[in-house]
Amino acid sequence: MMSNRRHIRYLALLAGVVLAAGLLEAEVGLAQESVAVRADLVKGALPAEDPTAAAWNTAPRSEFPLSPQVHWPTRIGEVTVKSVTVRALHDGRHLAILLEYADPSKDPHDAAALEFMVGDKKAHFAHGQPMAQVEGGPVNIWYWKNVSAKVLDMNAQGFGTLKVQAQQDVKGKGVYQDGTWKVVFARALSTGDVEHDVQIKPGEFINVAFAIWDGKKLDSGDLKEKGSEKAVSSWWYFRAEPPPDYSGYLYAALAIGLAVGFQFVVVRKLKKGRSA
Amino acid sequence: MKGGLLLKGEVLLKKVGVLLDKGGVLAKGVVLVVGLYLFLKFILPLFTAPLPANLIFLYLTLAVAGIVIFATISGESTEEFFGPIVRFLSGEGQTGPMKITRLLVLVLFPLLVGWQTYASAVPSDMPPAESRTIHPAPPGEFVGLSNPIPNTPENVMMGKGLFAAFCSPCHGANFDGKGPAARGFDPPPANFVDPGTIAQLQESYLYWRIKKGGVGLPVEGMPWKSAMPRWELELPDEWVWKIIMGEYDGAHQKPRTWE
Repeated sequence: MMSNRRHIRYLALLAGVVLAAGLLEAEVGLAQESVAVRADLVKGALPAEDPTAAAWNTAPRSEFPLSPQVHWPTRIGEVTVKSVTVRALHDGRHLAILLEYADPSKDPHDAAALEFMVGDKKAHFAHGQPMAQVEGGPVNIWYWKNVSAKVLDMNAQGFGTLKVQAQQDVKGKGVYQDGTWKVVFARALSTGDVEHDVQIKPGEFINVAFAIWDGKKLDSGDLKEKGSEKAVSSWWYFRAEPPPDYSGYLYAALAIGLAVGFQFVVVRKLKKGRSA
Repeated sequence: MKGGLLLKGEVLLKKVGVLLDKGGVLAKGVVLVVGLYLFLKFILPLFTAPLPANLIFLYLTLAVAGIVIFATISGESTEEFFGPIVRFLSGEGQTGPMKITRLLVLVLFPLLVGWQTYASAVPSDMPPAESRTIHPAPPGEFVGLSNPIPNTPENVMMGKGLFAAFCSPCHGANFDGKGPAARGFDPPPANFVDPGTIAQLQESYLYWRIKKGGVGLPVEGMPWKSAMPRWELELPDEWVWKIIMGEYDGAHQKPRTWE
């Protein structure tokens, strides 16, 4: 009776150690910085036209700090918007990205943009500026402006080369609520135009950068932020999450089966050897 | 008091010794491997940089191989080494905790194999690792230039003023890379107070980095990520040299020389 209880205590202790080790491992695995936007795969309609849809609450949220644009000489030292929150969803064919940021005033010239690299060549985050020792590629810019109430699909390869595409593929909508802009951008994951449009394949990490303009009119009549006077981020990552892949479980089950079989054979051999 | 402690320690060591003698080759091997692991993992890093996990694994593998070779030199020591393992795994005559431990080992081993297989079969969920060279080699024309501006208090002062106007928004008024405009940029602006930055570089190198900016970096420096302006478009060379002077003085660093 006494020894039985001791066994149970011993077993509980061992189980506790194993459990603690497992939890520690899980904790380490989860610790992750906000370096990537992750678009979750969803079934059913995307909230492509609705920045306030409840569906956005379930989308993974990431936040990126913003700086004034400094690379190009036409710059300002301080910007209104200090960080942007990003959420994204896709359904395997289409993608919707939501930007949210605090802006104290709603102005006609308030604007926001997403930037991606096009093709395999690296592009500088400042409008694909030419690089001295690396052959760079173009960028694809999705530009939303409050007053025009739509998104422009554009390309650039260096400052002063911004060009609106003939084929417009990006839709969008902005809503201003309680001092916050919520702007949604939507496009098909892939378009036929690999030369001008970013192509998004689920499971693949690509680069993304953000830009925000506070279009408030100053007393001088100028806009507070316009053109290269804007809040920007450098490159971060973006991924449309791939559909769940269960093959890992299959391989694990197979490995467990093999290990059990191996053990069985070894223990049997040992027992035989000892009784012989 | 001290003598008592010493005595206790001695008794403890003796007890361990007796246990080791009783346990034979296997127990000594286990103690050696565990001790080696603890040494590599916790004690060595006190004196040098922490060892990477795969190096520790390599050392432990070598130790285990050595112990097995040593233990199987004679038939007697082989039996001494493998006997306890065989008795444990075959489970004959086991009772109590030993029995439970054996069952646990038999259950946990396949689970561990399954877990490892799963972990290596599932594609990574993390962004690709990037190894960026922070101070890549400069182009030939920017090697070995010396600062043509005389190092006078006035010039240093002017350099600091220019730094405040053009560089401090990102690199910080305290030269620490923490300016108000730094937060959105990855990689972050260089911290000149850190002994790993300008103190490791020559003035000629800074002249290159300031003039050509982020877009002037070679591919291993990942120029597409750097926000550093190409100041040659905006500042005369003389100002750039003065800024370099002001930077070193303000960050309390000295340029690297080859003397």
